[in-house]
Amino acid sequence: MPHRVLILDDDADFNSLLTDIFEQADYNVTSLMDPIEAIEAFRDREYDLIVTDHKMPEMTGAEFMKAVKKVRPEVPVIMVSGYLENDTIRELISEGVGGVFLKPLNIFSLLKRTAELIEETQKLQDSSASDGEGADGEDAGKHLGFSFRSYPCKSGASASFAERLYSLRNFISMLSLIGEPGMHYRSICEDILNFYESDAEHFIYLSPGTFDEAQALSLIEAAQKEGAERVTCVLLDLLSMNEAQRVIATKLAKHEGAFEALAVVLRTIFCVSGDLDSLFDEGLIDENLYILMGTTEVRVPPLRECSVDVGIMAQQLVVEIAREKSLAAVPRFERSARDLFRQQTWGRNYEELRATVRKIIDDNPGDMITHAAVKSALQVSELASPRDRLESHLLGQQVDYLRAVSILFNGDRSKIAGFFGADESAIEAKLKCPQDSIFSREYTLWPDEY
Amino acid sequence: MQQHRALILRSNRFLGSALVNKGLVSTTDLEEANTRFMEAIQSSDLRRASILSTLLFDLKKLDEAKLIDYLVDELKLGMVDLDFIELRSLRPMNVDLSLCWASSTVPFDHVEGTYLVASCYYMSAPVIKYWEEILDGRVLWYGTSTASLSRALERIEEIHKAEDTSEEE
Repeated sequence: MPHRVLILDDDADFNSLLTDIFEQADYNVTSLMDPIEAIEAFRDREYDLIVTDHKMPEMTGAEFMKAVKKVRPEVPVIMVSGYLENDTIRELISEGVGGVFLKPLNIFSLLKRTAELIEETQKLQDSSASDGEGADGEDAGKHLGFSFRSYPCKSGASASFAERLYSLRNFISMLSLIGEPGMHYRSICEDILNFYESDAEHFIYLSPGTFDEAQALSLIEAAQKEGAERVTCVLLDLLSMNEAQRVIATKLAKHEGAFEALAVVLRTIFCVSGDLDSLFDEGLIDENLYILMGTTEVRVPPLRECSVDVGIMAQQLVVEIAREKSLAAVPRFERSARDLFRQQTWGRNYEELRATVRKIIDDNPGDMITHAAVKSALQVSELASPRDRLESHLLGQQVDYLRAVSILFNGDRSKIAGFFGADESAIEAKLKCPQDSIFSREYTLWPDEY
Repeated sequence: MQQHRALILRSNRFLGSALVNKGLVSTTDLEEANTRFMEAIQSSDLRRASILSTLLFDLKKLDEAKLIDYLVDELKLGMVDLDFIELRSLRPMNVDLSLCWASSTVPFDHVEGTYLVASCYYMSAPVIKYWEEILDGRVLWYGTSTASLSRALERIEEIHKAEDTSEEE
């Protein structure tokens, strides 16, 4: 059956041209010139893709796209226009446009992109449909052709992430995993380790709490004694490291100082929650690390981009927590309960998901976890303490302001402290404070009267 | 050039990542280029601090013809040979020549409110963003070769010198 395409363009000639192009390429086309009619048509009938003009008298293409995305967000949209500013193009892409084509049109590129978008959407729907009740994570990642457990990889973002990591598994000296707060970096790195079959491959994990040069060296030497031919040092939270630890991290990455003479191949994985450019602007990472970390940089997808995976990840967590609590049987989710997980935005990602699942299991849900039990746990985490939520929000805002002022004063701590009327040491601590710790409220910046 | 240190770091980091992501250079080659780039940065030899030049001329790990083909075929970028352009002083545009060296980019014409800008760093998002900000977004982008750009910037340097001399006289 031919795929259905909805074309919207108020220019009759161009509308007719687009219609001819798509019909000759065997698409079933509905062409309209009025956006309101197009929205109604979209509501009444299934379409595989929309092609719309951007500049129209009644509404812009972006406004039209917003309206149709409310009805069926999965349907891809291609924007066609005579002229668009670069900023507008970037904005459109960030808002979810699948392709932007400027007139005069390259017909072949337009048809190629159309086919790609329809195929991607179809794949996503197929993988969503195959995400059955029995998913407990045991087969997670098997469809990829290699083992991957930190994400089930049923969504496009996580599958691409896993494939990229797999393709980079033989990175020479360093890899950077850049994500949002609350990501499960350790599990991801364990997946990377599992890519190798050799026993000569060892990973050591260095946490900011305890890590120093002596500890790093002793862990590497211990790995060597166990037969390691290559040791990968995982720096789990670069942002929480103190200055001395960052110097060691740079030496490790560059195989300098005490790490130069080691008779083993050394590699480094940096895990960072935050935007590298902002961190560089704020002076939290130096030039060396900034450039080194850019060599092989991989973005870790946040859970909100992997909604199909989240239900399965929740079930995996149930299995893990049930084992930990030695429960006689592993509870399972009702389908509607699992769907609830997919609808959340998970601002603190895996950490928040884990806390929610733990809350559900702590409440003894029985063999079947119901929709109501999940809803209640989600409401607890979101609503039980409005004061906590407000406090977290304000603390987040506080750090944003602080970082903005830091950029304004080129990182000059005394000027920043003067601006806020706070101690330099408090500013220092706050700027080093990772997002995770902001929520745990370990740091106090403001004088009491604030 | 020192005032453009952050831009140089950022634009080169992005260019390196883009070249690897598009399969134009390997991570191993980029690692080596990064090391040499940081050596140039730390010796404050900022004009030599270019990952692109290092990959093209020092390490010979990137073929400029392939890069240009990629810009034309995949990014649909027009190319310009600045040797055939009648260049003018950048001063009326309030553009600092050191910024051009730092970002391997030059505005070579100004037509009805739109700046025609040639760059060897079109694949580096910070360069595009920076120039579009200072030129108020009215930019038509072109790609150019490193040799063509270097010669153009040297010619503009001569034009500026001649302007200075005539001003002194």
